[in-house]
Amino acid sequence: MAMFNKIAVIGAGTMGAQIAAHCANAGAEVLLLDIVPPGAANRNALAEGALAKLRKTEPAAFMSDDAGKRVSVGNIEDDLWKLAESDWIVEAIIERLDLKQALYGKIDAVMKEGAVVSSNTSTIPLSALTAGVSERFRRGFCITHFFNPPRYMRLLELVSAPETDKARVDDLARFIDVRLGKSVVRAKDSPGFIANRLGVYWLQGAVVEAAKAGLDVEVADALIGRPFGIPKTGVFGLVDLVGLDLMPHINASLAATLPADDAFHALNVKLPVIERMIAGGYTGRKGKGGFYARGADKSRVAIDLISGEYRPVRKPDVAEAKARDLKVIFEGTTPEARYGATVMGRTLAYAASLIPTAAERITDIDEAMKLGYNWAKGPFELIDQLGAGWFAGWLERQGMTVPPVLEAARGKRFYEVRDGRLLALHEGALTPVTRPDGVLLLADIKRAQKPLLKNASAALWDIGDGVECFEFTSKSNSLDLAIMELLGQAIARRPKALVIHNEGRNFSVGANLGLALLAANVAAWSEIETLIKTGQETYKALKYAPFPVVAAPSGMALGGGCEILLHADAIQAHAELYAGLVEAGVGLIPGWGGCKEMLARFGAHKRLPRGPMPGPVKVFEMISTAYVSKSAAQAQAALILREGDEVTMNRDRLLFDAKQKALALAENYTPPEPPKFRLPGEAGAAAFGLAVRDFHAKGMATEYDVVVAGELGTILSGGTADPTEEVDEDFVLALERAGFMRLVKREGTLARVEHMLTAGKPLRN
Amino acid sequence: MQTYKAPLRDMKFVLHELMNEAPLPGHEEFTPELVDSILEEAGKFCAEQLLPLNASGDLEGCAIENGVVRTPAGFKAAYDAFNEGGWGGLEAAPEFGGQGAPATLAKLVEEMICATNISFGMYPGLTQGAVRALEIHGTEAQKALYLPKMISGQWSGTMCLTEPHCGTDLGLVRTKAVAQADGSYRITGAKIFISAGEHDLSENIIHLVLARAPDAPPGIKGISLFVVPKLLPDAAGEAGAGNGVSCAAIEHKLGIKASSTCQMNFDDAQGWLVGQLNRGMQAMFVMMNAARLGVATQGLGIAEAAYQGAVLYAKERLQGRALSGAKYPEKAADPIIVHPDVRRMLLTMRAYVEGSRALGMWVARRLDEANHERDEAKKAEAEEFVALLTPVVKAFFTDAGFECASLAVQVYGGHGYIRDHGMEQLLRDARIAMIYEGTNGVQALDLVGRKMPANFGRGLRRFFHPVAAFIEENKGHPVLGRAVGGFGKAFGALQLATFFIAEKALADAEEAGAAATDYLRLFGLVALGFMWLKMMKLALEKLPDAGVDAPFYQAKLSTGRFYLERMLPQVGALLAVIKAGKGALMELPEELF
Repeated sequence: MAMFNKIAVIGAGTMGAQIAAHCANAGAEVLLLDIVPPGAANRNALAEGALAKLRKTEPAAFMSDDAGKRVSVGNIEDDLWKLAESDWIVEAIIERLDLKQALYGKIDAVMKEGAVVSSNTSTIPLSALTAGVSERFRRGFCITHFFNPPRYMRLLELVSAPETDKARVDDLARFIDVRLGKSVVRAKDSPGFIANRLGVYWLQGAVVEAAKAGLDVEVADALIGRPFGIPKTGVFGLVDLVGLDLMPHINASLAATLPADDAFHALNVKLPVIERMIAGGYTGRKGKGGFYARGADKSRVAIDLISGEYRPVRKPDVAEAKARDLKVIFEGTTPEARYGATVMGRTLAYAASLIPTAAERITDIDEAMKLGYNWAKGPFELIDQLGAGWFAGWLERQGMTVPPVLEAARGKRFYEVRDGRLLALHEGALTPVTRPDGVLLLADIKRAQKPLLKNASAALWDIGDGVECFEFTSKSNSLDLAIMELLGQAIARRPKALVIHNEGRNFSVGANLGLALLAANVAAWSEIETLIKTGQETYKALKYAPFPVVAAPSGMALGGGCEILLHADAIQAHAELYAGLVEAGVGLIPGWGGCKEMLARFGAHKRLPRGPMPGPVKVFEMISTAYVSKSAAQAQAALILREGDEVTMNRDRLLFDAKQKALALAENYTPPEPPKFRLPGEAGAAAFGLAVRDFHAKGMATEYDVVVAGELGTILSGGTADPTEEVDEDFVLALERAGFMRLVKREGTLARVEHMLTAGKPLRN
Repeated sequence: MQTYKAPLRDMKFVLHELMNEAPLPGHEEFTPELVDSILEEAGKFCAEQLLPLNASGDLEGCAIENGVVRTPAGFKAAYDAFNEGGWGGLEAAPEFGGQGAPATLAKLVEEMICATNISFGMYPGLTQGAVRALEIHGTEAQKALYLPKMISGQWSGTMCLTEPHCGTDLGLVRTKAVAQADGSYRITGAKIFISAGEHDLSENIIHLVLARAPDAPPGIKGISLFVVPKLLPDAAGEAGAGNGVSCAAIEHKLGIKASSTCQMNFDDAQGWLVGQLNRGMQAMFVMMNAARLGVATQGLGIAEAAYQGAVLYAKERLQGRALSGAKYPEKAADPIIVHPDVRRMLLTMRAYVEGSRALGMWVARRLDEANHERDEAKKAEAEEFVALLTPVVKAFFTDAGFECASLAVQVYGGHGYIRDHGMEQLLRDARIAMIYEGTNGVQALDLVGRKMPANFGRGLRRFFHPVAAFIEENKGHPVLGRAVGGFGKAFGALQLATFFIAEKALADAEEAGAAATDYLRLFGLVALGFMWLKMMKLALEKLPDAGVDAPFYQAKLSTGRFYLERMLPQVGALLAVIKAGKGALMELPEELF
């Protein structure tokens, strides 16, 4: 693969700076440049300030401190010459054509042969950008449109011109895919490209119609959100996030470039209520609040679109929003249903009208909305849910035009599975949806075969070459007894290698707390103990299985979901891995071998001082504070990942990479040697106790923290272990079990669990 | 002829020995000595004043003439004596003339009243519910105006909820309340099944009425509570001019015939808001929860009366011989108590009665903690416990009351079916308790649909944890160990059923509905089993030094054994039924019924 090891980003605004950070996350050396501020003593002030801010951004822009060190700063005047070394130059300056073109001229003068220059513009057509630049420059130029925030949004729209050097753009696209981890959607050179063209149309329509119907914003969000698989922020929550003041600018820029007959113009009206809000500083989350805000007493309020006054947030009670069949909304007669149908019906029709002018394929549009706007389903998947013919009929009944793409789909589906392969409608014919090399999706495998094993909470799949994939299928991939049972069966099959992976938003949020709380509330202690013991035994069996096990997590891997990682032979982690033993947050301790495995990891750590205490101290810090990594890189630093574990940037490539790793390990595989522990015993527990009480006295630990940390200290110290003698894994596991059972019976723990389930955050009791 | 002797020994056992809790703030003066003398007095009053009116009141019933309801002969005199003795205000707040007694004591007195004359008990019972609602939700002025007279019995109270078209679903209430310039409301509408709605016992009747303001939101969220006196208080606070409240008719019922059950018309009657507008259900729930525990006590009272009647007859009725040969050869025949099946019936009643009394006291004590505990955490835990157990005791005790009355009829044979011995009256009187204040089916739904899932089952903890701890603590008990083990299995069945319903109900609310009644019964049986084991453990501890009390403790052990061996095993069948799910219940199409 062609490497882009040296990358320059020009323009240190929010997007430019964060693109720079993310390129550094990918391992590139990055140069971040901005202009010299007029009259500034420090000519690099802008880029320097941006870098300083980057280090504090939440959510974090950098995946590791090392990544932060790979970004150097400068200014476009003094450091222009450095661009000669750059493999890829990203322009992310202010959206002004004249300034961009002037900059391109300067870049053209210094850039090396074969380098790529791309613009992060979201509004200016490529044809306009390259008007007047050299032929040579044009061949290496394209648009790379990142979404905000660039590290976290998985979509990148790439626009190239016929004269662009195809090989070079393909190289870049592959780099963005594999190294930056983005899904590259090729867009046509049309206004707003794909996601924003459709997204802005959708948002604007939703806002205008809600104001027209005088609906509560909560009601609008409830209708547009969950039923359509759209994040529950819905429309108004999203505009609050984007910023109300930005919307008129985005609308104006789109309106200025869209053809006169585009449906957007009809929606592009100014709403007095919004203008008043912007004028009053109610620009959204960054301002004094937006459609949703906090009242004087900090209570949640929402704006009334008619009166423009804030009032307490009301829980929406809309029957249609609870229906499983979208047709209930489309056929509904209430004002609420009419609203949902109008907004989404128009949006879906508009999506269909964007082919082929904005996008080549329906898959591009679906991908763009799923990755750029976090929709669970793309527009064409939603139309399939209604039925293409039915939807076309609905549009006709509303007196709306049926776009040709939809017309052609009457009596068909946009997507179909035939012989286990996913097909998508393209130019009237169903054609296979292809994946890039190195992409293996469980979703594709599941279409093509029946599971090898399956129960209510998990499934086992054959992913080829003798490798099997264990998938959690429970809600939020929470872990329960059924998962342990099936995992036990999966181990007994003795495959060549096993990968533990799933394509949920999160790998696993840990044990099913709701079930555990119910069990605790009805005092089902022996069942709870059985669950703990079974988990320990199953994870242990996984660890010492006669074949290699590779865990391939993405997103959150918490509690028991982290413990299963710790028992794998290797981890192939998605870069966005948020792993940690968070049990203390709910008043518990890791009971499925988490304490044991972390003790072993720190015990084997070469840079730690000798003796029985340093290891437990590190583990204690980690578990008592419920540490969670904010990236795979951080997880590596925390020893959740070990030497030899690897990171995949693109989520879609994770399973493939994990499978390759598993196959490599399967050559001459021998199970690991069980670790032995030398633990400090009662003296260690006393030291931990002292430290915690000190934290408590200083107000850094709550009363119940002391209780939980006390149990943790006892386990990590080995209970009554003699520091001069070695103990084995089972010894530590027994301590985990006993500590867990003592805690789970306490009122303080159950209050924490309940609070986590109801409020979604830890109770500080 | 009905007979009754207050079960004072057992009441004292439950209160002082089994519960044996320190008095709560405000209850310090209720020493065991005082409590005992109150119980003795109450027992005497009930046996002497109320019991004699039970059969005659049933026979005579209430009568209505020109809108005036006449209670049966003797009721007015008994009512006056009742108030004279201060019984109506036993639990009420001292600042308004009540005695501020703990609920534990008050519930035992209530049991005696219900055992001797459940119809009579309705009049002060309804007043107490209304007093409670006004105490909590009324304004200071309302309290000052109404409470002293209601607590003294001079005025009585009602709860006006039901309308011709709505009983369980109060969201459908149509009675209108129109705001007036002076802050009062004009109430118009018809209410039915209003107990003590009209009668000749008190000088005035204070109705608490659920009604809907004209612009109120639809359904349950638009219901408000109003206080509507039959006679409007004058400037001096005395009963004055008439209000637009009238009784159109009284119902002719299966039982509790001496309790006047009225159709009430409110015709532009003046009333005042109690609590907040459109928050009437919250205020009403205070009354309803108190009333549900009151109805539970009715079930217990009837069961006790039935047991006492049945024992009397079983010992004196000579008929046939014992299966193992004559036990009383000197007599013409053996008393029927020699027969295993008669003993089965008697012991079933006794086990229900004593087990329920103990469980009722646990609930009452926690109710006292909910109302008087100063520690907020303990208070909240007590509230959760009472909330969880309220539907259980309401339904379980009233089912048991009816079952016991039926068993008593059976013990008497043909003589139970005729009027002379009063058993058939108990059976008829017991039946209503399973219906009003939320049918027992509604109680079961409340348990599985509301109480169980609330706060991820936190309320369950208040019951399950102490039970589990007891099992853990006593599974090695030298005498009771095996019994505890057996009970542990029943408790396991309850845990399993809870899990099963919680999981099933997540996906399908109908599954919870299908399991509800069986689950509630399973819950009640386990709760009683717990009380029995605790009582047996205590009895074993007391026996060595019991002296003349030894037979009492011996009886506890025998009855407890009967419960554990011959009643508790029902839980196995109930669990099987619960696990069968809704399939068989929902299969038959409606049109084939």
